[in-house]
Amino acid sequence: MAGIWIIAEKKELAMELLTPGGQLDAAGGGRLTVVVPESEGDPADYIAAGADEVALLGRLSEEMSFSSWLPALAEEIKAADPAAVLLAATFRGRELAARLAARLETGLASNCLTLAAGPDGTLVMERLAYGGAALQRVAVTGRPVMATIPPRTFPPAATVPGREGTVRRLPPPPADSLRVLARKEKERSAQDIAAAKTVVCVGRGLEKREDLELARQLAAVLGGEIGCTRPISEELRWLPENLCIGLSGVQVKPELYLGLGVSGQIQHLTGLRGARLICAVNRDPHAPIFPAADLGIVGDLYEVTPILIAEIKKARGG
Amino acid sequence: MPKVVACFKWVVDEAYIRKGAGGALDFSAVDYKISEYDRNALEEAARCRGEGGRVVALAVGGPEAAKGVKDALSRGADAAFLAADPAFADLDPTQTAAVLAEVIRTRIPYDLIVCGEGSGDRYAQQVGPRLAENLGIPCVSYVQKLTVAAEGGRIVAERRVEEGVEVVEAPFPVLVTVLPEINVPRIPGVKDTLLAARKPVAIVKKEELPPMGEAKLETLALAAARMERNCEIFGTTPEDIARFVAALQRQGAIG
Ligand SMILES: Cc1cc2nc3c(=O)[nH]c(=O)nc-3n(C[C@H](O)[C@H](O)[C@H](O)COP(=O)(O)OP(=O)(O)OC[C@H]3O[C@@H](n4cnc5c(N)ncnc54)[C@H](O)[C@@H]3O)c2cc1C
Ligand SMILES: Nc1ncnc2c1ncn2[C@@H]1O[C@H](COP(=O)(O)O)[C@@H](O)[C@H]1O
Repeated sequence: MAGIWIIAEKKELAMELLTPGGQLDAAGGGRLTVVVPESEGDPADYIAAGADEVALLGRLSEEMSFSSWLPALAEEIKAADPAAVLLAATFRGRELAARLAARLETGLASNCLTLAAGPDGTLVMERLAYGGAALQRVAVTGRPVMATIPPRTFPPAATVPGREGTVRRLPPPPADSLRVLARKEKERSAQDIAAAKTVVCVGRGLEKREDLELARQLAAVLGGEIGCTRPISEELRWLPENLCIGLSGVQVKPELYLGLGVSGQIQHLTGLRGARLICAVNRDPHAPIFPAADLGIVGDLYEVTPILIAEIKKARGG
Repeated sequence: MPKVVACFKWVVDEAYIRKGAGGALDFSAVDYKISEYDRNALEEAARCRGEGGRVVALAVGGPEAAKGVKDALSRGADAAFLAADPAFADLDPTQTAAVLAEVIRTRIPYDLIVCGEGSGDRYAQQVGPRLAENLGIPCVSYVQKLTVAAEGGRIVAERRVEEGVEVVEAPFPVLVTVLPEINVPRIPGVKDTLLAARKPVAIVKKEELPPMGEAKLETLALAAARMERNCEIFGTTPEDIARFVAALQRQGAIG
């Protein structure tokens, strides 16, 4: 029995996974099953986008965590025996995928950038290794083939009105040993740097949080958005994590990327692969960002940025 | 007080990987290091140990990983286990988790296992959760804050999820994977290194373990993906910066 399963915690992620899911489905036949929480919109939308079956995860009690679905999903997948299971590479999705793979005794390709069936039907996936210094091509030898795919890797699947499919609901599982005590919403930036045309990225060269204002002014004259390195969002928490660019953050593809006090470690640079013009201001002439950049200024960002702002205004005749 | 296991991987320092002929990876000049985020795992394990607890550092790897053991011991662990064999040098996540589970189950009493969120080389983000499954214990991943409850027997962890943070409670024995923001790893001093030399190290050989299963993830190809561009360097005088801005304009990057 063939078949593809897609598991996502949010509607937009399921819609994205339906794109590769649909391609594999077309190549291999069988049923396409989408598993999403029942809060995630009208099941008809998934069916229109290619699903043959929608399995809705019933609402969990406040004390339960998404991972409680693990035993039930492992049983469901064992029974259905699909050829492939794709999950969105969110925090919960990555954990669930690894634990499902352990229960199903199969392999999992994490954070895949591409996925395609080879001539013999084997699924081949590409992912980054060594912090982004290498591209690793992998295949899973167990069954099902499992893969996690980062958000925005694929566009949402096109919808076809009039498709038919079945909908069922999985009853919430019994409580397990994990108990959720509290949930806190985290600040997210409303800006979408993945789609920004210009990104001014700040790194640890910035001395204090207030100095973000300088970078904001530069971004404003360039008409761009602010992004940051992982230490800025994660260790210092000066900016929300959805502005972090790189291996564990967002991939950006702007016309212009300008790094201020960014060293350019490979884990960060790998997020800039799609940038057309890469520029950097760093006081260390040996910073690894320079060999990866098109234009660079070796100097102190506190000295350079005000002049840069003035010169850009001048060049624009402002 | 808890018995803690910290899992660390001895990895190639990616900063030394060169692009060889035909886009192959050139490892000839590489150095090794404890995987970045496993330093946070070791630090967190040492922090959770409290008075009277115990931290065991554990790695699976090739014979060269022996060097990493001393480093791990200078980061606060009380003892170390190393499953070392040339055949353990490049295991897939299924195999790594299986070997770790076997060594822990048969040799290391534990209440809490701490892993990094992902390893510096593969960044599969799998070994921790898989290990928890192999041992049949709960797993809390992507933890940014960890507390061992005062009365013992359980942890309270702040874990990252898409919408923010979920605070969860779990009983011992439990596995957590930690984010880099959870702590600032120590930089071992001379005293730490001297102390480390006196701590017990147990080497587990491949022959002492049950036969290892097949890899479930096969690497078909590995190619260098370095980013190299021809950087034009500018100075910092207003004239230099005006030229920089002119270059941006020529490139159509500013209107
Ligand atoms: C598995 C893994 C995943 C990771 N994922 C990511 C990721 O997704 N994104 C990411 O960004 N990082 C990631 N990292 C971390 C990455 O390796 C680097 O540590 C990080 O990118 C460095 O950030 P930084 O450039 O801000 O800081 P630093 O490396 O500390 O660099 C600061 C730079 O500022 C310069 N500087 C200092 N003062 C000034 C001044 N006054 N004027 C001009 N220049 C100045 C310095 O010369 C230096 O080059 C990851 C690491 C690992 C191990
Ligand atoms: N060979 C290994 N030895 C010990 N621990 C490991 C090994 N490989 C991975 N780990 C642990 O599992 C975590 C995740 O690794 P990975 O799944 O490879 O991203 C690491 O941060 C380590 O804590």
